[in-house]
Amino acid sequence: MKYLELTVGAALVYNFVLSRFLGICPFLGVSKRLDTALGMSGAVIFVMTLASGATALVYRYLLRFTAGGAIYDLGFLQILLFILIIAALVQLIEIVLQKSSPKLYQALGIYLPLITTNCAVLGAATINAQSGRSVLDATIFGCFSGVGFALALLLFASLREKLELASPPKAMEGTPIALVTAGILAMAFSGFAGLC
Amino acid sequence: MMLCAVDPGQVLMAVALMTGAGLLLGAVIGLVARLFRVEGDSRVDLVTELLPGANCGGCGKAGCRDFAKSVVAGENPPGKCPVSTREQASAIALALGVEVGEVVPKKAVVRCSGTLFTSDRVAYYSGILKCSSAMLVGGGPKVCRYGCLGMGDCARKCPFGAIEIVNNLAVVHEELCVGCGSCAAVCPRGVIAIVPAASAVHVYCNSPEKGAEKRKVCRSACLGCGKCVRKDPEKFELTASLARVKYSAPEVPDAAEVEAVGCPTGALTTIGAHYQAIRKGGTEK
Amino acid sequence: MNKSSRDVMTFEGGIHPADSGKALSENRPTLTPPLLERYQVLLCENVGKPPKPVVKPGDLVGKYQLLAAAEGFVSANLHAPTSGKVVKIGEVPGPMGIPAPAIEIEADGEDAAAEVFPPLDDWRDTDPKVLIGRIADCGLVGMGGASFPTHVKLSPPPDKPVDTLILNGAECEPFLTADHRLMLEHPRDVITGAQIMAHILGVNRICIGIEINKRDAIESLETLAEGTPVRIVPLKVRYPQGSEKHLIRAIAGREVPSGGLPADAGCVVQNVATAAACSDAVLHGLPLVERIVTVTGEVLCHPGNWKLRIGTPLLEALRLAGGVTDEPGKIIFGGPMMGFAQRSLGVPIAKNTSGILLLTREEALRHRSTSCIRCGRCLQGCPMHLSPCLLATAIENGRWNLAAQNHVMDCIECGACAYVCPAHRPLVQLMRSAKMELRKRK
Repeated sequence: MKYLELTVGAALVYNFVLSRFLGICPFLGVSKRLDTALGMSGAVIFVMTLASGATALVYRYLLRFTAGGAIYDLGFLQILLFILIIAALVQLIEIVLQKSSPKLYQALGIYLPLITTNCAVLGAATINAQSGRSVLDATIFGCFSGVGFALALLLFASLREKLELASPPKAMEGTPIALVTAGILAMAFSGFAGLC
Repeated sequence: MMLCAVDPGQVLMAVALMTGAGLLLGAVIGLVARLFRVEGDSRVDLVTELLPGANCGGCGKAGCRDFAKSVVAGENPPGKCPVSTREQASAIALALGVEVGEVVPKKAVVRCSGTLFTSDRVAYYSGILKCSSAMLVGGGPKVCRYGCLGMGDCARKCPFGAIEIVNNLAVVHEELCVGCGSCAAVCPRGVIAIVPAASAVHVYCNSPEKGAEKRKVCRSACLGCGKCVRKDPEKFELTASLARVKYSAPEVPDAAEVEAVGCPTGALTTIGAHYQAIRKGGTEK
Repeated sequence: MNKSSRDVMTFEGGIHPADSGKALSENRPTLTPPLLERYQVLLCENVGKPPKPVVKPGDLVGKYQLLAAAEGFVSANLHAPTSGKVVKIGEVPGPMGIPAPAIEIEADGEDAAAEVFPPLDDWRDTDPKVLIGRIADCGLVGMGGASFPTHVKLSPPPDKPVDTLILNGAECEPFLTADHRLMLEHPRDVITGAQIMAHILGVNRICIGIEINKRDAIESLETLAEGTPVRIVPLKVRYPQGSEKHLIRAIAGREVPSGGLPADAGCVVQNVATAAACSDAVLHGLPLVERIVTVTGEVLCHPGNWKLRIGTPLLEALRLAGGVTDEPGKIIFGGPMMGFAQRSLGVPIAKNTSGILLLTREEALRHRSTSCIRCGRCLQGCPMHLSPCLLATAIENGRWNLAAQNHVMDCIECGACAYVCPAHRPLVQLMRSAKMELRKRK
């Protein structure tokens, strides 16, 4: 039951993009084409999983410890440390991506380092910290949150590719119709509420 | 007033933790960056920044980044870009330590004066309003097989918005044109010529058919009478009933010469006079 | 054999045009017009390289004499439609809207035949290569409209074995009745021609596909086909049944692969008129210089079918039909679905001109095109199982790769989608512009 909440809950019911409205920047920025969306999805799942795991570990063992007889409660460093870890992870991904897939690297452009300051990743880490989950649970939560993000991104990218061929009124062309579509997609996902 | 007791131990530990984490992660990133180093030429990025960024293809390359690569590789001089100003080209030349390279500025001209009113249509055309599509239907609705169809393929293609369709005829606004050649490439009739920018006078006709035949279907066609060539054989030439300005001649004709020649149909005229006439309906006399 | 219980074959997709218009001319027997004073024979009446003229202005020629010799393998000979003098080799208005080279002959009124080829009565014992040579000598091309040189079609590459010969007697285009009249008036030529072609190809399965709106032709040919390996296959009335890929689907049950040719499905398809011309070429040694043409339209005084010689100008054909009662909206060479509208009355008939159709002003009216309403009629109608609506949107947005991925190159330009579209979108023109663009980029 708990694992249902961690997986399906994180991915669908409490979808990061469409229910919690976090990570809208890459959601709107990279969803113009399906292949860049696919690349971004992979990157985000990877970062969210690792970041959730690392931050949960750090939170549990590094921010509250006993050493030399004294109790150190450094919970206030949470945000600083989380951001540091996430930034480092994204930087590593950027370096590896530039070497292994330059085309994807060019296509993602500015949105790749934007995962760093992305509230979705930090959000996942903070939610984990607040809920006091174990490191394993936190990692699973992070992974499936990423999957949910990827799902929303891919769905939206497919819709946007079709929207490109359509002819909405001139005033709605481009971003306006995309935002309306995103809103309708969010409404659709609200149908998952109460699932678990 | 109660002040929070600040435990120096906590503060020290916090600083130590952050510093440690920072150093550790920094070292890891540094190592990975060393292992996954990508050899790239940052000069290409530099030149791309300095270029106008119109991606018009006028240099013959596929966009500004491609041109930047060719400049860095030494294939093209910076001056080859028809859109960049002298300052921009010089800046690039300075940055790379190469010569600017002299390139003759060019402009496009639509060599036809057959408007809706002066040239005949063979049939009523109903279909996609694109020149390339109209050509699929019996070669297009104009009787003249060489003239401009006026449906705007060139105007839509121009990255600088330099072409206007007036009375079913395309006209290039030379002050906006940079001579990139996109329009000439897309014209299915081949009626657009890219000529040296210095020429202000053109023969606005593209048909090599016999003068009498041309006259039957278009009142503003070049008759091939040869008046201009007789007046000044250095600046004009006549091939197959079609007169042309000799663009390669050391001197090009000017407005005064056009007056002196007195073209019977108005096909030979200056850019300005051509535009004014087309706006009024046509250059027929 | 109980003929009425036989299944009527068909294919998936396709449309049923509302009024076939064939009633105007299907019961008019073919007439032979009087000799004209001038014939302007188009030089290139075949797919492939145009033939090279072997006569020059001033030469005297007899009927059936060689005017131009084929250039290379994919080309066809051209022969004189009557005896007379070659006046000039110049340009005339062509059927595609652009001027085309033509040999103009001034008839001397004698209609004297030059020497023709010797008859090959024993064709059953003749080497197929000799027969192919005879077909090439006589300048035979696909008379259904494709004008592909027949000798090339009858020589499929050795790596593509063929086991079926299919004759196209479907005549699925509205208004056209030329093939129908041919099958009623010269059934023996069609059957013999089919057998000759089968002998050349070395196949023993011969089928003639005829739509069931031509019951009299089916019965007439069935009677003659008894005792021969030729089978008459009745086909459901559906457009474009006459397309070779769909004849193969309906009759042989096979599908030609995407981008492939009929030989890839083991079949060769020929028009019934081409078969009859083949019979004339082999049995009588006659080159191809004339054909049955349907001249029809509500606006004509006397629509009907005539045996016209190649080089007959359009204007003369209209005179034969007694002229018009009102100004026509459009003059089309071919049928209303795939024919080409003409810009000039001076265009001459060619070997592949099956019909001249005059549409009235109302019939030629084109409605303003509006946005796609996603009704899906085009999907139902497309015989090649494409999505014309998706392709049209992709092409309008310049997405050539998307169009190529969705098989726009497989479009046969039949016009079924444009016919049924309630928004009157110019679908065929969009497909043709995409094909042109993709060919340029290849």
